Amino acid sequence: MLTITKYTIKEMVKKRAFLLIAILTVGYLFIYGYGLSLAFHNNNQVVNNTPNIAKILLESQLLSAGLYFSNFIVAFLIVLTSVGAVSGDVESGAIYALLYKPLKRHEYVLGKFIGLSIIITVYSTLLFLSVIGLNIAFGTKVYLGLGNVFRALFFFDLGPVVLLSLVVASSSIMSTVNTGVLAVMTYGIAMIGGILEQMGSFFTDATSQGLSNVGIITSLILPTDVIFRKMNAELLTQNTGLSFLAQGPFGGTSQPSPAMFVYIAFYICFLLYYGTRKFEKRDL
Amino acid sequence: MILETQNLTKQFDGKGGFKDVNISIDSGMVFGFLGPNGAGKSTFVKTMVGLLYPTSGFAWIDGFPIGTIESKRQIGFLPENFKYHDWMTGKELMKFHAELCKMKNPYKKIEELFELVKLKGHENKKVKNYSKGMQQRIGLAIALLNDPKVIFLDEPTSALDPVGRIDVREIIKRLKDDGKTVFLNSHLLSEVEMVCDEVAIINHGHVIAEGKLENLLSKNTYVEMVISDYDSQLIEKISKLAYNVVFKDGKLTFKVKDKDSIPNIAKTIVDSGAKLYQLDSKTSSLEDLFINIVGKDEDVC
Ligand SMILES: Nc1ncnc2c1ncn2[C@@H]1O[C@H](COP(=O)(O)OP(=O)(O)OP(=O)(O)O)[C@@H](O)[C@H]1O
Ligand SMILES: [Mg+2]
Repeated sequence: MLTITKYTIKEMVKKRAFLLIAILTVGYLFIYGYGLSLAFHNNNQVVNNTPNIAKILLESQLLSAGLYFSNFIVAFLIVLTSVGAVSGDVESGAIYALLYKPLKRHEYVLGKFIGLSIIITVYSTLLFLSVIGLNIAFGTKVYLGLGNVFRALFFFDLGPVVLLSLVVASSSIMSTVNTGVLAVMTYGIAMIGGILEQMGSFFTDATSQGLSNVGIITSLILPTDVIFRKMNAELLTQNTGLSFLAQGPFGGTSQPSPAMFVYIAFYICFLLYYGTRKFEKRDL
Repeated sequence: MILETQNLTKQFDGKGGFKDVNISIDSGMVFGFLGPNGAGKSTFVKTMVGLLYPTSGFAWIDGFPIGTIESKRQIGFLPENFKYHDWMTGKELMKFHAELCKMKNPYKKIEELFELVKLKGHENKKVKNYSKGMQQRIGLAIALLNDPKVIFLDEPTSALDPVGRIDVREIIKRLKDDGKTVFLNSHLLSEVEMVCDEVAIINHGHVIAEGKLENLLSKNTYVEMVISDYDSQLIEKISKLAYNVVFKDGKLTFKVKDKDSIPNIAKTIVDSGAKLYQLDSKTSSLEDLFINIVGKDEDVC
């Protein structure tokens, strides 16, 4: 299994345009940083030294937006690099020479999953820390305690791992193309569900309840959005209990329940179990 | 018995594949598995190496049921559509597969194998940039990495040049000398004829002939004689001992099931007072046998 993990990482580094991703990521961060510098600079001129709630709200909004799109980029990269995790080898026929060996099929799938998880987590962590770093560097007034940042980082990395478990499981069962379609559509559903749930807070009881139910259902299908909101909450809620949670589509007004996190743990385990089990029984 | 199957069957939704195959192969044999396109050869091999799950029946490799880790430790396999992770160099690819086989110190073996399959000097080239034949060669090297007891080769020479084919033949002979068992899928009959001890012929998923190559071939010994001073009684006698008897232009031709009946027939001729000038016997080639058997099977179907 570790061999598969090792070579999955090697393959990503050698084959999957790692340099290109690195360069474009730097470009993305540069533009984001430029935006921050303009926004923050502008603010400083208008308002005097005292921290002002409106300004903090704006800045936390910018922070959330930066993280939201970073999260989106990570999801995109997962889909692009991992849809063929298993199905690619099956479709090319490279799998034949691997699986006649004394290597259990679930070891192969889990090895791939672990390898991809490591890469994605490293990338997602770097991206997260860069976004936070840029905000701090440009003098954000949002309070970012070390504890908050690390708890948020955990959830920022958890989302991609959840998506990856769906992609790898699907890739073990279906073709690369179908996995791609499934991953993109499910991710879209989770996203729209999350937005609808957020909007629920603007409405009266019945509508709000309805929208919130939609959100719950979509986060059961793929809990990436709910994890993102948890991340936002962890980042922006201070120890005092005072919250600077931004409203709006990137915000985290409605927070997931603890039961949701039990579900998420179960979700990852179940998908990997189901995917490997199907793969074990499959004719290749 | 290093390899044994019992009514092994693999069908795809009730179609294709192969059915009720009973084969047993002794250790150290080179076994040829022949059949026309789509007969079920590759399906059989893929089932034996655990890539496909049999629909019914059983099979063992070195006593271990197929598909188990223990049986997989005994085997090497060169797939029909050999395709490898081509972003690695040849050496990296071999190292990767060696690690999968949990080999401790594979470097010496890898070097030996590069030599054996004549890829020396190409170790550090990306497999992507290998020619098709070179890719098949490295596939063969990978199949031999873990020093397997049984090696399944699915059309190992399909991409090779004539020299390469001879090389593979030599490698197979060497494996046999080392006491390995080779299971060779092929429709290159001359190749099979040169290296195999035993063969089975499969058509439409059924094994229609199986046995030692020499026995199968001698079933179809073709004899030509030049005789004179014979009578019709003699022809009648010979017709009882042989079949397909034809007499034309002083030449008598017939087929015998068993080589041992040839001296018998010669004695009959001489005893009858006829003169025997010439006797030629030819065992038919595997090709004749193949065309004959598969052709007959097609007629039945
Ligand atoms: N995955 C599959 N699904 C359905 N049918 C299959 C599948 N694989 C093989 N078959 C069928 O099983 C039969 C045997 O195929 P197989 O590949 O074993 O033939 P083969 O003897 O290796 O032929 P060739 O000489 O062309 O390599 C064919 O009729 C084929 O259509
Ligand atoms: Mg075949």
